[in-house]
Amino acid sequence: MDFNLSKEQLLIQRMARDFAEKYIEPVAEQIDRENKIPDDILEGLAELDLFGIPFPEEYGGAGGGYDGYVLAMEQIGRVSGGIAMTLSAHSLGLSAISVFGNEEQKQKYMVPGCKGKHIVSFAFTEPGTGSDPKQITTTAVKDGDHYIINGTKRFISNANWPGAIILFARDDESGKPSGFIIDKGCEGYSISEPWDKMGMHGGMLLDVYLKDVRVPAENLLAGPGMGYPILQLGISFGKVGVSSTALGGMLAAYEEGLKYAKEKMHRDKPISRFQSVQLKIADMAIKYEAARWLTYRLGYLANNVKDPRQFAKEAALTKTFVCETAFEVTRLAMDIHGSYGLMNDYKISRLYRDTIIGPQIEGVADMQKMIVAGLTLAD
Amino acid sequence: MNIVVAMKQIPDLQQIRIRNRQPILDDVPLTLGNIDKNGLEAGVNLRDELGGKVTVLLAGNENIEDTVKEALAAGADEAFLVIDDSLDRAESSVIANVLAASIKQMEEPSLILFGEGSGDNYSGQVGSRVAEILNLPQVSFASSIEIKGNQAVVTRSLEDGEEIVQVDLPAVIAVLADINEPRIPSVTQILKAGKKPKEVLELDELEVEAGKAMVITTSNLAPETERKRVVVKSVDELIQALTTEGYVGR
Repeated sequence: MDFNLSKEQLLIQRMARDFAEKYIEPVAEQIDRENKIPDDILEGLAELDLFGIPFPEEYGGAGGGYDGYVLAMEQIGRVSGGIAMTLSAHSLGLSAISVFGNEEQKQKYMVPGCKGKHIVSFAFTEPGTGSDPKQITTTAVKDGDHYIINGTKRFISNANWPGAIILFARDDESGKPSGFIIDKGCEGYSISEPWDKMGMHGGMLLDVYLKDVRVPAENLLAGPGMGYPILQLGISFGKVGVSSTALGGMLAAYEEGLKYAKEKMHRDKPISRFQSVQLKIADMAIKYEAARWLTYRLGYLANNVKDPRQFAKEAALTKTFVCETAFEVTRLAMDIHGSYGLMNDYKISRLYRDTIIGPQIEGVADMQKMIVAGLTLAD
Repeated sequence: MNIVVAMKQIPDLQQIRIRNRQPILDDVPLTLGNIDKNGLEAGVNLRDELGGKVTVLLAGNENIEDTVKEALAAGADEAFLVIDDSLDRAESSVIANVLAASIKQMEEPSLILFGEGSGDNYSGQVGSRVAEILNLPQVSFASSIEIKGNQAVVTRSLEDGEEIVQVDLPAVIAVLADINEPRIPSVTQILKAGKKPKEVLELDELEVEAGKAMVITTSNLAPETERKRVVVKSVDELIQALTTEGYVGR
C-alpha cells in the first residue's frame, strides 16, 4: 500500500492550486458578493481542461481519471466553493452521458462539455420529489419520433448556461422515469431567477420549466425506463465532486483556523499556546486527514466501477462523512476566531456559509446513511 | 531554432518546514527552480514564434527523470538528462562542466537559456561558466529577448537602468524572474509530459572530467536584526520618526 501521489497527480494538484490562488482568489469575495463567476475565470478553467478531467480524450476529456479530478477539485473548492460546485454538477451530467450515452450522444454532447464550451446540468429534483424517484411528475409523451416533455425541475445547477441538461421524466410507454438529453435554451425551456441561497455563491441553483419541449427520440439516454439506474450511478459519480468540493472548503477552514490561532495574541502570546485552542487544532487536523484519504480513495474507486451498488455505498458514505466533517471543521475554525469569525471581513464566515451546504445537496445526509445501511445489511 | 533550457531540480520551497532553525528536507516533493521556469517560458515563447524545438537539460540524481515532467508539461519538446547521485550537491563548476559536455552532444543550439540563479543556492554562476567552456557570448539579467536574424537583442535590467545589447547567436542568456509569467500547464499537457522524448545518460557515459567539488551548507539563516524600539506618543511623532528613518517623505 503506497499513499504517495504520482508526479502527474502532484502536478495536477499544483496546477489547480496555482490557478485558484492566482486567478480565483483575487475575485473570490466578488464571486460571493455577486453570485456570478467572471467569464475569464471560466475561460481559464477550460484552457486547463478542468471541465473534462476524468473523461476520455476521444470525447474531449483530459483522460486524467477521477483520481486527478478529486485532487484538482479540492484545490478549486479551497478557494471558491461556488466554482467547484459548478464543475461538480457539470461533471455529474457528463458522467451520465459517459456511462449511458451512445457514441453519437457522446460525440455531440461530451466534446463541447469537456472543452468547457458548454456547461452541463443534471435535473432530477422536483418541487415534490425530495430524494424519491417514485414521486417524479415531469412527463414525457411519445409523439412519433419525438417525446413531448412537460414539468418543473427544482434547484438545478448550471441551468442558466448553454449546453446539455440530463433530465428525468416519466415516459408514457414504460411508466417509469427515463433520462433525456435536452439542449438548454430549446423551445419551451425556461428558467427562474437563481435561488438566493446562503452560500456556495457563483454556483447557481435555478428552477427549470418545461412546456411542451419536443425532444428527438434519439436523445433518450440508455432506453425507456432506464432513469433509475442512470440516476443511481450518475449521482454516485456526482458525490465524488461534492465530496472533493467539501474537502476543499474544509482545507480552507482548517488553514484559516490555524493561521488565526498563530496570529491572534492574548496576554502577549498567540492563542495557539492555549490548550483549549490546541484541542481544536488537533480535531481539525484529524478530521481533515480522515476526510482527505476517504475522498482520494473514492476518486480511485470511481476510475474502475465494477459493481454500481458497491460504488453507490462507497460514494454515499464518503459524501456523508466528508460533507458533515467539512462543516464540523469550519465550526471549529469559527470557534477559534471567536466573535471575529462572525464578521464578513473574515474569510471563515464565507466558509461557514459554504460548507453548511454540502450535507443538504445531492442527497441529504440522512438519505445517504439509509443508502449505506441498506446496502450494508443486504451484503 | 533549437533552444536549450538548463534547469535545476530543487526541493519545493513552499513545502519545507523549519525545525530548530534548520530546514526539514525529508519527503519534500522535488520541483524546478522558479527562475528556471522563467527561462523555460522564454524558450517556449521563442519557439512558438520562430519554430524549432526546446530541449530541457538537467543534471542531478535519478529523481530528475520524474521532476523533468514539469518542464515537459510546460512546453519543452524533449529532455536531455544526466544522472548521478554525486550531482545532487555538486558545486557550480562541476555542473557547468556536465552541462557544457551535454550541450556539445546536441545539434548546435542557437540559444542556451538559464535562470539568473537557482531556487536553492542562487550562486548564479553556472550560465557564465557554461558560456566560458563553450566559448560563447553570454548576456545576464535579461528582462526581454528578441531574435533578429542571427542575433539576439536583449534588454538587461540593472539596478540603475536598462541596457540593451545585441549578441551573435549562438549565445548563452540568463533571464530574470520578471521576463515573463510562466504558464500553468493543462491536465492534458501534464499527462502527455511523460511520453515526450528523453535522452538519459549516466554521468560516466558523458566522458567529461567534471570535478568532484561539493557544496555543503553549514548554515543558511537570515541575519538577525535588532528592533529599534522607537516609542512615540502621537501621530505627529510617528510621522516624524518614520521621516527620520526614511520610510516616508522621501
